[in-house]
Amino acid sequence: MKAILKSKEMSIAAILILLCIILSYLSPAFFTFSNLTDVLKANAVLGILAIGMTLVIITGGIDVSVAAVTSAVAVITGHLMIYLPDSFLSLLVIFLVAPLCGIVFGLINGYLVAKVEIPAIVVTLGMMSIISGAILYLTNGVYVNSRNFPSIFIDFANAKILGISILVYIFFAVAALTWYVMKNTVIGRSVFAIGGNSKSAIRVGIDFKKVQMFVFAYMGFLAGIAAIVQTAYIKAIDPNGLIGFELIVIAAVVIGGANILGGRGTVFGTILGVILLGVMQNGLILAHIDTYWQKVVVGSIILLAVSYDHIQYKRAQSQLSNIKVEA
Amino acid sequence: MKNLSKESILGLFLVGLFVFMSLFAPGFLASSNLKNMMFQLPEFSILALAMMVVILTAGIDLSLTFVASLSGVVIAIALSSGYSIPMALLAGLLVALACGLLNGVFVAKIGVSPILVTLGTMILFEGINLSITKGHSISGFPSAYNLIGNGYFFGLVPVSLVIMIVLIIVTTVLLNKTKWGRSVYMVGSNPIATLFSGINTSRALMWVYLFSSLMAFVASVIMTARYNSAKVDMGSAYLLQCVAAAVLGGTQIQGGYGKVIGTVYAVCIFQILSSGLNLLGVHRSIVDVMIGVILIAVLIINYVSSQLEKRKSIKEQAKSVA
Repeated sequence: MKAILKSKEMSIAAILILLCIILSYLSPAFFTFSNLTDVLKANAVLGILAIGMTLVIITGGIDVSVAAVTSAVAVITGHLMIYLPDSFLSLLVIFLVAPLCGIVFGLINGYLVAKVEIPAIVVTLGMMSIISGAILYLTNGVYVNSRNFPSIFIDFANAKILGISILVYIFFAVAALTWYVMKNTVIGRSVFAIGGNSKSAIRVGIDFKKVQMFVFAYMGFLAGIAAIVQTAYIKAIDPNGLIGFELIVIAAVVIGGANILGGRGTVFGTILGVILLGVMQNGLILAHIDTYWQKVVVGSIILLAVSYDHIQYKRAQSQLSNIKVEA
Repeated sequence: MKNLSKESILGLFLVGLFVFMSLFAPGFLASSNLKNMMFQLPEFSILALAMMVVILTAGIDLSLTFVASLSGVVIAIALSSGYSIPMALLAGLLVALACGLLNGVFVAKIGVSPILVTLGTMILFEGINLSITKGHSISGFPSAYNLIGNGYFFGLVPVSLVIMIVLIIVTTVLLNKTKWGRSVYMVGSNPIATLFSGINTSRALMWVYLFSSLMAFVASVIMTARYNSAKVDMGSAYLLQCVAAAVLGGTQIQGGYGKVIGTVYAVCIFQILSSGLNLLGVHRSIVDVMIGVILIAVLIINYVSSQLEKRKSIKEQAKSVA
C-alpha cells in the first residue's frame, strides 16, 4: 500500500485531482460529462502517440518523427479514401492500410537505429525532415475535405457508444493492448530489461536490436492508428496540422513519469500525463485565461515535473548506495 | 584521400558542391545571389555553432531559437518605444543570459537531462514571447540599427558576415585554447572521469548554456536588424537545421567530439544547397528532404566505413597470427 502511495503515478494523479477540484470550483462547465469526454476525445491522438513514445523512451531512445509519420499516414489513407466505395469493407481497408504504413515507417527508423547504430534522435530528426518535406511537396499543403470521404467513415467518426465517442474507446483499447504487451509478453518484458540496464539485459540473452526494432515498429503502428483517429477527429486531412506535435507527445510522456534516460515509465503514468495536459488546456480556456499563457504554464510544469522527478531519483540512488551491512 | 580528416572531406564536398551549382544553377554566381547567401549565412552559422558547443557536452538545446526570438522581441520593444540602441541591446542581452542561466541551473546544478530541460524552456520561452507579442510582429527600428543586418564594411563585406567570422574565430579559440574549452570536450566524453580529475563540471556546463544563449542573442540582433522586425517564430526553422548542421559537420551527438570548422562547412553546404536548388527550380520542401537524406546518408557512410575498417583490422590480425 505504501509503495502504491509513494509511486510516481500517485503524485501525478494527486496533482490531476487537485487541478480538477480547482477547475470545477472555478467553472461550473468543467465537471460535466460532456466536457470531460470532450477532453478525452480531443487528446486521443496525443494519448495514442504518447503510449507508443513511452516504449521508445523506456529503451532509452526517442522518436521526433512521430508527428510527421502520423501526418504522412493520414495523407496516404486520406487520398486512398477518395477512391474507396461506401461500404463496411472500406473501413476495414483503412484500418489495415494505416497501421501497415505506420509500421513501415517505424521499421525504417528501427532499422537505422538498431542495425546501422545511428543515435535515435538523429535518425528520427532526419526522417522527420524527409517525411514532412515530402508531404509538403506532394500535397502542396492542401487540405482534403470530408466531402471526399466515404460516408461510412463519417458515420464511424461520429459513432458513440454509451454517449462517449468511439475515438475515446480506440485510445483506451490501445492503452489496454500496450499494457498487456508490456506486462505479459516476452518482448514487453525485454523492453523494460533493456531500459533498466542494457548491458545486463544483453548478457542474459535479450536481443537488443530486436527490441529496438520492435519498439520503433510499435511506435509506427500506433502512429498509423493515431492517423485514423486524427482524420476522424478533424474530419479532414491537414498536412501541416501536426507540426511540432512531437514535442507535446514527448512532454506528455515525461510528465507521466518516464525517464528520458530509459528504464522507467508506465502506460498508466503516460495516460495520466496526457490527461493532465488535456485538463490543463481545457481548464485554462474555461477559466478565461489568455490562450497565450498556456505555453508558459505547460513549459513551467514540464520543468517542475522533470526536476522534481530527478531530485527524487537522486535521493533514491543515494539511499541505495548507503545500505549499511550489520556485522 | 586516406589521411584526410572528416572535416577536410566535408570541405572538399563543399567546394565540389559550389562548383556544381556554379556550373548548373542559372544565376548562382550572380552578385545578387551571392549577396543573398552572404546575408543568410551569419544567423544560421552562429546558431549552429551555439548548438554545436552544447552537443559537445552530450546535450542539446531545443530552446536555442526561442531564446533568440525572445531576446529579439525585447530588443524590438525597447527600440520601438524609443530607447537608445545600446540600451535595447543591453536589455536583449540580459534576457538572453537569463534564459541561458535558467537552462544552466536545471542542467548543471539540478542535473536534469538537457533535452527535457530545453524542451520545457522552449515551450516556456515561446509562451512568454506569445504573451508579450500576442503573435504580432514588432517593427519600426532606427535605421542605424538596421545597418547591423544590412550594412557593409567598406561597401563590400556585410557587417553581419564580419560578426560571424569573428565569432567563428572566438569559438575556435575558446574551445581549443582555454581551460573551459577543453573541459567542454571532456565533460562530453566522460563526465564522471572529468569530475574526478578535478574539473568543476557543473560550472563548465553552466558556461556552455550561457555561451549558447549569448550566441543566440547575437543571432537575434542580426535577424531583427535584417528583417527590420521581430516575431515569435523568428528563426525557429533553424532549430533542427542547427542540430543537423552540427551532426553533418562531424560533431558526435553523444558528445566529446566536434570541430568548429566542420560545423561551418556543414552550414555552408546547407546554404549552397538551398540557394542552388531554389535557383534550379526545385520545390522548397524538397530541400528539407535533401537535408534529411544527407544527414542520414552521412551517418550510414560513417557506419559502413567503420565496419569496413573493423573487418580489415580483423583480417590483418588473422594474417599476423598466421
